[in-house]
Amino acid sequence: MTCQPKEANRLRHPGWKILGAALVLIEGMIAAAQGATNVAGRAGTSPLSRRVVAYQIEARLDVNKKSIDATEILTYLNLAGRPLDQFPFHLYLNAFQPKSTFMREVRRDDPGFEWEEKHFGSIEVKSFEVAGMGDLTRQIKFVQPDDANPDDRTVFQVRLPKPVRSGARVQFKIAFHAKLPEVFARTGYKRDFFMVAQWFPKVGVWWHGAWNCHQFHDSTEFFADFGTYDVKLTVPQNYVLGSSGEELASVNNPDGTKTLTLHAEDVHDFAWTANPNFRVVEDTWTGSAGKVKIRLLMAPGHLTQAPRYLRALKSTLARFDRRYGPYPYDRITVVDPPHGALRAGGMEYPTLITADTTWWMPEGLHMPELVVVHEFGHQYWYGIVATNEFEEAWLDEGINSYTEAKMMDSPYGPARFAINLWGLTLSDADSRTLSYRSLPDTDPLARKAYQYMSGAYGGITYGKTATVLLTLEGIIGEETLRRALQTYFTRYCFTHPTGEDFLKTIEGVSGQNLRWFFDQAVYGTQVLDYAVESVNSDRADWFEEKAEKKGETLYRSSVLVRRKGDFIFPVEVEVKFDNGEKVREKWDGRDRWIRLAYEKKARIVSAEVDPEHKVWLDTNLFNNSQTRERHSAATRKLANYWLFLTQFFAQLLAWLA
Amino acid sequence: MLWGVYAVNFLLALMGALPVALYLGRVLNRSLAAERLYKAFDLSLFVELITQPDVSLSALLPGSFLLASLFLVAMVFLSGGVLEAYRCDRRLGAGEFFQACGAFFWRFVRLLVFLLAVLVPIGLLFNLAQQWSGRLSADAPWEMLGFWVGVGGTIVVLFLLLAVRLWFDMAQVCAVAESEHKMRRALVRAFRLTFGNFAQLFWIYLRILLVAAVGLAMALWLWVRFVRPEWVAVSFLLGQAVVAQWLATRLWLRASETLWYQHHSAAPPPEPSTASAPNLAA
Repeated sequence: MTCQPKEANRLRHPGWKILGAALVLIEGMIAAAQGATNVAGRAGTSPLSRRVVAYQIEARLDVNKKSIDATEILTYLNLAGRPLDQFPFHLYLNAFQPKSTFMREVRRDDPGFEWEEKHFGSIEVKSFEVAGMGDLTRQIKFVQPDDANPDDRTVFQVRLPKPVRSGARVQFKIAFHAKLPEVFARTGYKRDFFMVAQWFPKVGVWWHGAWNCHQFHDSTEFFADFGTYDVKLTVPQNYVLGSSGEELASVNNPDGTKTLTLHAEDVHDFAWTANPNFRVVEDTWTGSAGKVKIRLLMAPGHLTQAPRYLRALKSTLARFDRRYGPYPYDRITVVDPPHGALRAGGMEYPTLITADTTWWMPEGLHMPELVVVHEFGHQYWYGIVATNEFEEAWLDEGINSYTEAKMMDSPYGPARFAINLWGLTLSDADSRTLSYRSLPDTDPLARKAYQYMSGAYGGITYGKTATVLLTLEGIIGEETLRRALQTYFTRYCFTHPTGEDFLKTIEGVSGQNLRWFFDQAVYGTQVLDYAVESVNSDRADWFEEKAEKKGETLYRSSVLVRRKGDFIFPVEVEVKFDNGEKVREKWDGRDRWIRLAYEKKARIVSAEVDPEHKVWLDTNLFNNSQTRERHSAATRKLANYWLFLTQFFAQLLAWLA
Repeated sequence: MLWGVYAVNFLLALMGALPVALYLGRVLNRSLAAERLYKAFDLSLFVELITQPDVSLSALLPGSFLLASLFLVAMVFLSGGVLEAYRCDRRLGAGEFFQACGAFFWRFVRLLVFLLAVLVPIGLLFNLAQQWSGRLSADAPWEMLGFWVGVGGTIVVLFLLLAVRLWFDMAQVCAVAESEHKMRRALVRAFRLTFGNFAQLFWIYLRILLVAAVGLAMALWLWVRFVRPEWVAVSFLLGQAVVAQWLATRLWLRASETLWYQHHSAAPPPEPSTASAPNLAA
């Protein structure tokens, strides 16, 4: 299904409802012709996505045992274009066991990590039935498609006795028991706080002619099909609950629990949270697609920071609406994890995000805002444009890091402050670039997330991608890149695009062939570093003993610029002279060096590569320029700080005397 | 005396700062990017700077740490002369001063060893308090409990440190005033004097330290509020004022304790030394 650009339409416009209803009708007719039941959207709404899956889950949370007992009915629509007789499922919670692939990788990358029983999590399939095919529990087979670790149980597959025809539906009925870990990687509990994510058996994605169902790795996230979720959750009556779904009903039970009926559609995941101590803050925001209900679930100790979350969320909603396209859902929940549960923070689920703060966060430290901006951005890049986070993590984390930097630009000051405290400044864009520069050459963006070098995932997927896109702004223009992202969003919303889809969209919108850039920046590991090697100005009549006269003496000046890295990129060089003249040269950057020569009645003051600082990928800013004369003000300043710190430390030490 | 101590402190720190200036200068002195550190303080650029191969601040840290430690040794040496001057209540000549410094140096080194031994359990206590505070911050139902336990623990530890400092300062005063050679005896006598008059002595120390803390807070406020990033000279002067103030605070504490000892102690002070030498300029 193609989304129209926001100027032409909005996703919840009546015209789209009609078209959507027509598509559902056609789909239903095809399914009916093949003997399957019609699973359309809720009455009065039209689907925004191809609803491959329809989950109905009834679950009961045991707050004392930190476990969930549930039954799941999954209706799967076969849109593979061929019969399917084998279905893989994710069991993500089984990653929280010492022998799993996830834990192996955690320990490999952090040898100091110690296993504790509280880290244990699991999900056990009690029974697996298929409508019309009987009980297939014994057919469950754990597979390890990524690393052949026989102890990893995060993926199982079942072979059906009869294949499911193309266009037909199959219904799975799965009973399962989940044990939650104490939260240390997104999901779990802390005291009486529960963040329940990746908690049910989730079918893989049929993608590009094959099943795509990876094991759960330390550095991967998730990938699933769009569909509907009808979930009934039973929790203690005093618990406040938030979820990816809309609450349709709440019924108190005689045993002191309550059962909430929740519904979500056109999403590819369903997460929920429960805590008796949440303080609820509600608000609304109205965008081009209509009203959005905002719900903050705040830890009591952080309640004073609710306005910061709200401000950040509303301004991001507005900016995304204007820049990329309308937010199609009518709700968004922000979960503020309590102290000790911050590892559940900074995460995204459809229509629900987890934030991150502490009680002592000063105003000039924009960490809570940054988390909200980033996690909300994932509603677009991941939630709606649902790329494969296992194989192309850069498409959601990286694009989102770029758009986050643009969002943080606007409300927090011209220098794009992530930190603006006591004279210290740090822009969000700079912080992303810093993380890239720490490891610029280890992995290409396009590598699978679980194959990155240890410790490189963050720097590459977040930092390098954001830096690549910031550099791309300098090539095609900021507004063109914005239009490209807008086109990408509207063209691929509610689908699973690839990296090539994204890059081709940029080329299409910009009208430029950017392969030379993408081959290096996305598919390669070349490092970009241009440096001004030397500047000098010498008298043309150097062999004569004459006094120099400013404005009259002729000088021969030269600037030597080098390409120190292996990334080839066209650059500008600006040369300034002491008569106020500025000359800007363009160099294609192909050769290893270039000498720029001048004959003027003025001497060079400075030369700078990339004077407008558009080439964010350059890994060394200090060698981008050279002045003919020395200016030691910055050195003196920093040396002064060092002097003071040494003196103060020395006098502190001398209190032992 | 203050300016002599300050001069030693300044010169030692300068010896640590000069190589830093040299390394930083290689990268910054001809780069236009340096402006972002001079006219403001761009954290990302600073982090990039210190990760430059040419800079290697981590290699320079041990040198500065060593020089700071030398200042500690210098203060151990100078303490004898300082206390003798306070005891005599007059300016000592250079010869007298350094004679006193030398006379008491090794005794004060022994006291330093005893002090370090006493600080070990206090350090362990601090560590335990921090660990407990951390666990409470994560696990206790009330988020602030961990914070308050941490604050409480820190206050207790600071109190203990001040009490120990009081005791050992008194031991040094006793050693000088009574020309005591056995530091254990000096410690025992000092213990009785200090903890027999703890409230009075603690209050003397506390109010002097509060004045110093207020001074530091004011300097920090002035620096953040009024000093522009490019005002290097103003920043330098403010920093030096803070250092001088804290050095003065330490000398003030010693003078106060010596004075208290002279007014309250039963043991008669020995005759001051009579070596003639030019006056040592303060």
